[in-house]
Amino acid sequence: MVIDLRRCIGCGACVMACKVSNGTPPGVFWCRPVWREVGKYPYARIEMIPVSCMQCKDPACQKVCPTGATQIRPDGIVIIDYTKCVGCRYCMIACPYGSRFFLDKERTYFPNYKTPFEEVKYKRFQIGTVTKCDFCIERREVDKLPPACVDVCPTSARYFGDLDDPHSEVSVLIAKERARQLHPEYGTDPSVYYIMG
Amino acid sequence: MLTSHIDLGKFRAGEHLQREWGFGGQRKWRDGLLLLAFFFGGVGAGQFLISTLLIKWPLSALIGLLIVLIGKGAAHILYLGRPSRFWRIFFRPQTSWISRGLIFMTIFVIFGALYLAPDLGFDWLPWSSTSATGIVLWIIAAFASLCMMVYDGFLLMSGRSIPSWHNGIIPLLFAIYSLDSGIAITSTLSALSGKIETVAEATYIDTLVLLAVLASLGVYLLSMAGISPAARLSLRDLLRGGVAPFFIGGTIIAGVVVPLILIYLASSISYLELALNLIAVAGILALLGDLFVRHSILKVGYHLSPI
Repeated sequence: MVIDLRRCIGCGACVMACKVSNGTPPGVFWCRPVWREVGKYPYARIEMIPVSCMQCKDPACQKVCPTGATQIRPDGIVIIDYTKCVGCRYCMIACPYGSRFFLDKERTYFPNYKTPFEEVKYKRFQIGTVTKCDFCIERREVDKLPPACVDVCPTSARYFGDLDDPHSEVSVLIAKERARQLHPEYGTDPSVYYIMG
Repeated sequence: MLTSHIDLGKFRAGEHLQREWGFGGQRKWRDGLLLLAFFFGGVGAGQFLISTLLIKWPLSALIGLLIVLIGKGAAHILYLGRPSRFWRIFFRPQTSWISRGLIFMTIFVIFGALYLAPDLGFDWLPWSSTSATGIVLWIIAAFASLCMMVYDGFLLMSGRSIPSWHNGIIPLLFAIYSLDSGIAITSTLSALSGKIETVAEATYIDTLVLLAVLASLGVYLLSMAGISPAARLSLRDLLRGGVAPFFIGGTIIAGVVVPLILIYLASSISYLELALNLIAVAGILALLGDLFVRHSILKVGYHLSPI
């Protein structure tokens, strides 16, 4: 995935689309905004950078997982097998991007009441396990759609494609615009690239 | 996640405290069980090693073994989000320090129990603690106990985005603290049960280890001064923030300085019973210091900003 921060207007639509599409419980943000200050007074401003799981090629979370619950699929997506996760949260400590969330108990958006939407969406989660973005596997495999955050972006700041294909749109963009990874020094080789503003 | 907005020169918004391990996480006291697991692991392993190596006291070694088996084992299992799946942790030692820790613990408990068994009434077993088989069993158990003393340090050190943990001194610090706790609990039990005959034998090694603890704490603090904004935040929390009462008061003063003074007093007075009581109090304080240092280090784990 490539995120063009020159186009991003910080509307947060990706965050909301992720929540709607995946039905994540309160407090769980597979796609979340991270704010940073840029520039100096009187030209200082706040900038939003959307951060989700970086789907690293050499993920720290997968290495530290003591049960093998965190796995890398052949297409490079890092997934969690909820039936194997013991909820030790070592992966949350290891992830440099803070992209993992622990489901400590069942939380609903309305007190003591699960909406029909939540009834359906919560079936995929298991209390006591860790969860994270999976680039909308269901949307892509069943409906052949890109991830919700990519689909919804009103400024088309997100691009989704195959990084292993040198002719794909994302590969061309990375080369042409010198897109960069966040914290490459950790050696995790993230698959999400940012074109800096 | 808690984003801090403190201006510390090159500080970048986004640094946040880890809230998963130690007291005060999403599950409040239950997240603190991991701290207790680390603590019991260090204390039990240290006590076994000191009891079998220095004073040859099987009962004390058995207590160390039980602290690991019951204290650490139960704390670890109850901490997990899905305790019933704990057995899965055995199968990833190639990359995960949690798996390695569980394996070290299992080896330690099994071989430690086999080594101690003949001295604890199971004298029908075909080996004794001084036979060749007994020595081999002790070597394996002692090696596993050493691994247990350092593994939680390596576990913390493996988190590269938490500079206050990703520090080479952490495994050494935890190992020295484990030895310190082992000596503290063993000397306390010895003093209370009258097993110590001369004060000098108890105070000499206590003093050495406490000085080593003080030195390693100093190196740890100095090493954090210039690493990164997140490390400086951790340092600030340790020395001036909310963790300072635990670190300065609990770890340094109550856990090291006061025990050193008590041990000095014990070695300089001629009244044996009072000296033994002072040694026992010093041991209890040193144990508390171990608990507080682990608590403090877990509490100041600031993640670097993801951006």
